[in-house]
Amino acid sequence: MISLRTIANSFLHDINLDIHDGELLALVGPSGAGKTTLLNVAAGLTGYTGSVSFYGRPVDRLPPRSREIGYVFQDLLLFPHLSVEQNLLLSMRRLDIGHPEKKERAYRILEAFRIADLRTRFPHELSGGEQQRVALARAVVARPKLLLLDEPFANLDFRTARYLRQELKKQQRRLGLTTLFVTHNLAEARELGDRIAVMKQGRLEQKGTIEEIWFQQELDEIGFLEKPNILTCNYAVNLGNGLVEVGWAGTRLLVPDDGVSVERVAILPDEIYISAEKAMGPPINRFVGRVSSVNRSDGIVQVAVSVGEDTLRVEMSPEHFLALNVAEGQKVHGILKLRALKGLGA
Amino acid sequence: MRLLIWLPLVVLTLLVCSVLAALLFHVSPGDVWQALGSSETRFALRLSFVTSLAAVVLSLILGVPAGYVLARRRFPAKAVIDTLLDLPLVMTPLVAGIGILFLFGRDWLGGYLAGLGLRLVFTPLGAVLAQTFIAAPIVVRSSRSAFESVNRRFELAGQTLGLSAPVIFVRITLPLAWQGILTGTILAWARALGEFGATLMVAGATRFKTATLPVSVYLNISSGELGAAIAGAWILLAMGFVLLLAVKLLGRTGSNAFAGRGGTVLP
Repeated sequence: MISLRTIANSFLHDINLDIHDGELLALVGPSGAGKTTLLNVAAGLTGYTGSVSFYGRPVDRLPPRSREIGYVFQDLLLFPHLSVEQNLLLSMRRLDIGHPEKKERAYRILEAFRIADLRTRFPHELSGGEQQRVALARAVVARPKLLLLDEPFANLDFRTARYLRQELKKQQRRLGLTTLFVTHNLAEARELGDRIAVMKQGRLEQKGTIEEIWFQQELDEIGFLEKPNILTCNYAVNLGNGLVEVGWAGTRLLVPDDGVSVERVAILPDEIYISAEKAMGPPINRFVGRVSSVNRSDGIVQVAVSVGEDTLRVEMSPEHFLALNVAEGQKVHGILKLRALKGLGA
Repeated sequence: MRLLIWLPLVVLTLLVCSVLAALLFHVSPGDVWQALGSSETRFALRLSFVTSLAAVVLSLILGVPAGYVLARRRFPAKAVIDTLLDLPLVMTPLVAGIGILFLFGRDWLGGYLAGLGLRLVFTPLGAVLAQTFIAAPIVVRSSRSAFESVNRRFELAGQTLGLSAPVIFVRITLPLAWQGILTGTILAWARALGEFGATLMVAGATRFKTATLPVSVYLNISSGELGAAIAGAWILLAMGFVLLLAVKLLGRTGSNAFAGRGGTVLP
C-alpha cells in the first residue's frame, strides 16, 4: 500500500490518502486543485511536510530517482534524441539485469502496447496516440512500485483516448501496478478508476468507489460539467425480484433495488439512449421527449431533452450524434438503461 | 525602390571581395606557391594547427562545465562572474597578452611553475595559453545558451526513471545541447587559429619556434617578404572560411533539429 499522511505544502492542505496494492486510484478535480502537485509529492519532485510511505517504508528522504516510480507527464517528455527502444532501455538502467534481457523486456512491453514495430522510430516520427503509448510503456517497463499518470489522454481525440484508456486498464491489471491517475474528466475517472478521490483547492474532498462519489450531490459544488441526471419520483413501489417501480414525468420506470426507499433516481448522461424513431425491444423505461438544445464540446455532444417538466442531459460521441440525425425542436424516443439507473433515498 | 534594399548587402559583399582580391593580386601566384611550400610556412601552419587544437580542447574541458553551471545554477554575483568571463571577447588581445605575460612571467605564477620545470612564456605552450584565454569564452557562451535551450523537464523525467545526475547529464542534457556546443567549438577554433595579439606577447615571435601562422605573416610583412606573408594569410582565410561555412551549414541542418520534438523549452 502507498500511504500519504498529512501532506501539506503551499498548494496542498492536510492530504491523507491510501492507494491499495494493484489499485488504480483516479484523482479528479478542476484545474488548479493541486492534483499534479500531489503526484509530484509522491514522486519526490516537490517539497512537502507530512510523510509518504511505499509498502510500509517511508520514502520522504529518498530523491525521485530512488523511489522506483513510473511517471507519465502531461507533456510526455519522451527523449527526442533517442529511439523508442532506447527510451525504454534508459528507463531500465536501474534494473540489475543484462542488456539482452532488457531488450527482451522492452520488446515484450512494446508488444503489449502494440507498438513493437515502432521501436526504431524517434518520438517526432510518431502520432500523438503512439507517443502516448511509448510514454506509458517507458513508465511501466521497469515495474515501478507506484505508477503516476498526469492527464495522459488530455490532448488526444475522443476515439484514441477511449481506446488507450482500455489499453491502459488492461496493462495495469496485467502487471498489477499500483497507480495514481490524475484527470479532470469524471467520465475518464469512472471508466478507469477502482476508486476515486476528489480534490478541490488543495484539499481532498471525498474518496470512495465510483458510485459513492458519482451520486453525491456535492459534485455540483465542485463544479464538474459532467454529473448524473437526478430525477424526482412521484411514487415508488417495491416489486420484489430486485426491482423497484417508480413514477417519473408520467412514465413508469423500473430501477434496481438497492435496499433504499427510493425518492429520486440518478442516471449518467451517457447511459441514456435516444433515437428519432421508436426503437425495437421491450417497452421498459421508455420516454418521449423533445430536443431542446445541442451543444458540441471537447469531442462530446451534449443534448438536452425535455421530458414533461424535466430536462435530461444526454451525452454521446460526435459520430453517434451524426448517425442519430436529430435536430433541435425534434421529437425523440428514449430509453433509460435499467442497469444504469440508481435509486437514491431522501 | 524595391532594389534599393539590396544595396547595402551588395556594398558590403563587394567590400569583402575587393579586400580579398587586393590580397590575391598584389603578389604573383608563383611567389605564393613558392611560399606555400617553404619550410617556414609549413612549420607555422603545423604549429598553429596543434596549438589551436590544444586550445580548443582546453576550452571545451573548462568551458562546457562552466557553461552548464551558468545555465543551471544560481549563485551570488553570477552576473558579475558571467560578465568577467565575457571580457576576453572584447579585450584588446595585445592587452590580454601583456596581462598573461605578467602573470606567467618570472615574478608571479611563472616563477612557481618554472620551479616545477614548466615554462609557458616564449614557448608554444604560451601560444596555447593565449589562444585558450581568447577562445574559451566563446565555448562558455555557446554552451550556456545550448544548455539553457534544453527543457529542464527532460531532466526531471530522467530522475523519475531512476537516473543519477551524471547519467542524466551524459545521456540526456549533453546530447540535446551538443549542436549548440559544437557551433561554439568551431567558432572558438576559428578564433584560436587567427589569434595574433595575445600569442605574440606570450609566446613571442621566433621563427621555427613560436611563430604561429598569424605571427609568421606579421614577421614576413615586417621583413618585406610579401609573397610569404600573403601565402600565410590565404591559408588562414581558407581555413576560416571553411570553419565558418561549417557553422552555417550546421545551423541550417542542425540547430533546430529538435524543434517540434520537445527539444525546446516548454511552458
